[in-house]
Amino acid sequence: MSVQLSADIVVIGSGIVGALAARRLAQQGASVLILEAGPRLERARVLAAFRNSPIKGNWMAPYPPSRWAPHPIYVPKDNGYLKQAGPYPYPAEYIRAVGGTTWHWAAMAWRLVPNDVRIKSLYGVGVDWPLSYDELDPWYQEAEKLLGVAGADNTGSPRKQPFPMEPVAEPWSMRRFRERLAPAYPVVANTVARNSRGYDGRPACVGNNSCQPICPVNAQYLGINAVEAAEAAGAKVVPDAVVYRIEHEAKGRIAAVHYYSPDRAEHRVTGKTFILAANGIESPKLLLLSASDTYPTGLANSSGMVGRNLMDHPSTSLTFYADEELWLGRGPQSPSSINTLRDGPFRSQHAPYRLDFTNISQVLSVTSDLIKEGVYGAEFEKQLRWRAARQVSVKNVLEVLPNRDNRITLSSEKDAMGIPKPEAHYAIDDYTRRGAEVSKADFTRIAELMGGTGLRFSADGQYANNQHITGTMSMGNDPTTSVVDAFGRTHDHENLFICSTGVMPTAATMNSTLTAVALALRTAEHILPAKDAHATASHRGREGNLA
Amino acid sequence: MNTPTRCVALLVSMGLLGLFIAAPARGADPSDATLLQRGQYLATVGDCVACHTAPSGKPYAGGLKVPTPIGDIIATNITPSARAGIGRYTEQQFSDALRKGIRADGKHLYPAMPYTSYAQVTDADVHALYAYFMHGVAPVDSMPTPTRLPFPFNIRLSMAAWNLLFLDSKPFTPDPAKSAAWNRGAYLVRGLAHCSTCHTPRNLLMAEESSHELAGGAVGTWLAPNITSDANSGIGNWSEQDLVDYLKLGHALGKAQAAGPMAEAVDHSLQYLGSSDLRAIATYLKTLPAQHEPADTHAIDRWGAAFDGMADQRGTPLPDDANRWSGAQLYDAHCATCHQASGEGSFDGGLPPLFHNTATGRADADNLVLVILDGIRWTDASGVHMPAFADSLNDQQIATLASYLTQHYGNPAATVSAEQVRVLRAGGAPSHLVALARWAMVVVVLLILAIVILLIRRKQRRTSSGRP
Repeated sequence: MSVQLSADIVVIGSGIVGALAARRLAQQGASVLILEAGPRLERARVLAAFRNSPIKGNWMAPYPPSRWAPHPIYVPKDNGYLKQAGPYPYPAEYIRAVGGTTWHWAAMAWRLVPNDVRIKSLYGVGVDWPLSYDELDPWYQEAEKLLGVAGADNTGSPRKQPFPMEPVAEPWSMRRFRERLAPAYPVVANTVARNSRGYDGRPACVGNNSCQPICPVNAQYLGINAVEAAEAAGAKVVPDAVVYRIEHEAKGRIAAVHYYSPDRAEHRVTGKTFILAANGIESPKLLLLSASDTYPTGLANSSGMVGRNLMDHPSTSLTFYADEELWLGRGPQSPSSINTLRDGPFRSQHAPYRLDFTNISQVLSVTSDLIKEGVYGAEFEKQLRWRAARQVSVKNVLEVLPNRDNRITLSSEKDAMGIPKPEAHYAIDDYTRRGAEVSKADFTRIAELMGGTGLRFSADGQYANNQHITGTMSMGNDPTTSVVDAFGRTHDHENLFICSTGVMPTAATMNSTLTAVALALRTAEHILPAKDAHATASHRGREGNLA
Repeated sequence: MNTPTRCVALLVSMGLLGLFIAAPARGADPSDATLLQRGQYLATVGDCVACHTAPSGKPYAGGLKVPTPIGDIIATNITPSARAGIGRYTEQQFSDALRKGIRADGKHLYPAMPYTSYAQVTDADVHALYAYFMHGVAPVDSMPTPTRLPFPFNIRLSMAAWNLLFLDSKPFTPDPAKSAAWNRGAYLVRGLAHCSTCHTPRNLLMAEESSHELAGGAVGTWLAPNITSDANSGIGNWSEQDLVDYLKLGHALGKAQAAGPMAEAVDHSLQYLGSSDLRAIATYLKTLPAQHEPADTHAIDRWGAAFDGMADQRGTPLPDDANRWSGAQLYDAHCATCHQASGEGSFDGGLPPLFHNTATGRADADNLVLVILDGIRWTDASGVHMPAFADSLNDQQIATLASYLTQHYGNPAATVSAEQVRVLRAGGAPSHLVALARWAMVVVVLLILAIVILLIRRKQRRTSSGRP
């Protein structure tokens, strides 16, 4: 064993959620250590890897997994890291590196709609959250200020204060959708952590349309920005530290965590308070791995719920040709959506959804279609131009209800460090399938309003995954049915907290990051109250005082 | 209307008011809104806030460290606080500080305060400024730490001698042979806008060389360019509209962008000037006698052409050693996203082209290195205009990149070394002025001693020879 590290707060995982909790705690004067399994990346190298990669459409390509902290890769073929137990595949993607998976997100920073936290009471499905939307509001506000979020006011998510900035200019394609779908469907700007102007030292979006896999100019907020902010506040980051065991004392308090460095040397880190923030798959994996004689089913798992209730957002879609040139690809990849179907009495019957328009350049996909069709020469160029200008698609983002059989377990297979790989057990239930079926009528209507031809629905029963890993360490008031309380504290270990999308008891219809960040800030406040409580949330001061 | 827009509207209307410089002075009555507004506009023209406000400090409360070759000069509190600011100043004392560099206690200011320029300000404008600083500015009762310069500059009386040599304390007198716009421009440029403070070269004693008005000077590590009417070295090939755009927006399409201290000047001051004042400044600048640098065989903003170096490095792995990245690799990773693969910028010039750009066209590439290091950031809502790369690129990388830029898009004579970047990153070459001044004093003392000895000897000789 080498030099022993110690800190007031030990955070496992350096993604956007853990890093922003770490930053807040470091600002209050705590010593904070962040352990990250993966390596530290450099934006310039990621960007070069993307620009030099022949597989532009695969957003994992610039993020090859490290030997010691592998993550799932599916293209060109499955690297077999996330084992699939079925019955339905759950090919989640995430990045194990300093900064985490938001290296290649689309910066969607949605709030819930208020009824999302009461679907059991209101609609008799799923579960209620142990807190209200109103309790979340100031934390959303604080998160939005940190991330630099902009959006529309009519998305169904009420707010007490304005967004920190205006949305990025509406691309032509989205303007045409908005104009032509009104009044049947109000198309509004997405709520995103993307700069429409210089903000917090980062520049405005210049419309490179490569948000995924990498924003080349730092205009969209990434986990690495959160890590740098945490470091500026005094937190220390240890990369390449693969935590493989959480160690508890006789009475259940957590004493230390153990990690491997890439040479598989063992290290022990002690602390007063521990925060598990290693995403919705790696975090439950680590709790299950840390089973002991006292806790034979794993830590924080007296309820048996660790790893269970795995949720995400399955999507089906429609691709078609509009009757006018829209030229997707100018501006951000995902600028606008329809939010009116996120809530309603129908939720007792079928999944609600958000309808999202892609603005990703169609040149690549049209090119590969044409090659497949055997088109070449002058006709190829003509077709490419015609289709790339007109091809559009709309997808749904469907809610999935918590189900204890959808879960992450430990595989019998091990990774290069000898650590069991995670295994996904997943199915898509009728509630979600009914939602997908209902949304087809919306797809058809939208195509009609856009003068659509060449309609191509995604294959029946085929769902794309959205990498919004939720539910595996759900929060709740009842220790027999949930893993953490409303403040993210594990019911079983008084000094172990979880900051993750995994604590969300339901998945709702929006990307989960902002809610997880808001919950994490609330957890940080619970661990160590800010000296100027809520000064940051209520104060709309000049930029530059943020980090 | 959001706040910045409202400010602009307010200031534009004040700009119109500012035209009436000859308005009769009225008593400094706090209820005289017109006078206060005019004072506020003039304070904006003078950019008092730039030095007299610390980063994220209260307006005009001082505290900003102004680095000079002889040490940091700390800007004072000029709010109307009686205890910490200038609240007890009479209008005459205010005028003396502004135009003669003499504080209320009779001590001398250092010429970091541009009183040699402000000396041009008319009595009427001094009156409006006084009214504004007494009644339009919120008093702040905290006093910044006083300036402490090394010997001999800590003797403020030395400035009396300096003033005797270099201060022309006559207010501006219009030239009846020139247009009203020219006179207004001359008044602003030489006076409150104090352009010469940076753009006129200085002599060994840090005084402006009046024979080289606006021929290019230095401000810290930045080069303040020649802005005389020379077509190659100056702004001779700029239209008046180019100049107005530059002062208003911080850039002139296809020519130049304000960076460093000039971006600050536009950010805090020039963008708020009324359009007739900006046009007057442009009118005056266009008539400044051309000061030509023989090395400038080309107009600085006409160098280079579109060039795409991306294909040559595509598919080549990035070297593990950061120092061995090629110019094209660095350009791809850090510049091409905004300035585009061929350096042509965006179609509307909002993201500027790198050729036909003074940033790459100078024989001296210091400003290019500095803008890569620091980026361009405004304090208003527009924020970051260009990101800073000081943290993401090392000295060698910046040298390679800057050389790639001048080679392909700018003046190929300008090459940049890692050592040059290192020095600029560290804040420039150390100044020898303090040592020089001390040596000069030793030399002067020795000289005086020598003269005294000589005189005594001569006297002795004379007396001895006088003896019979």
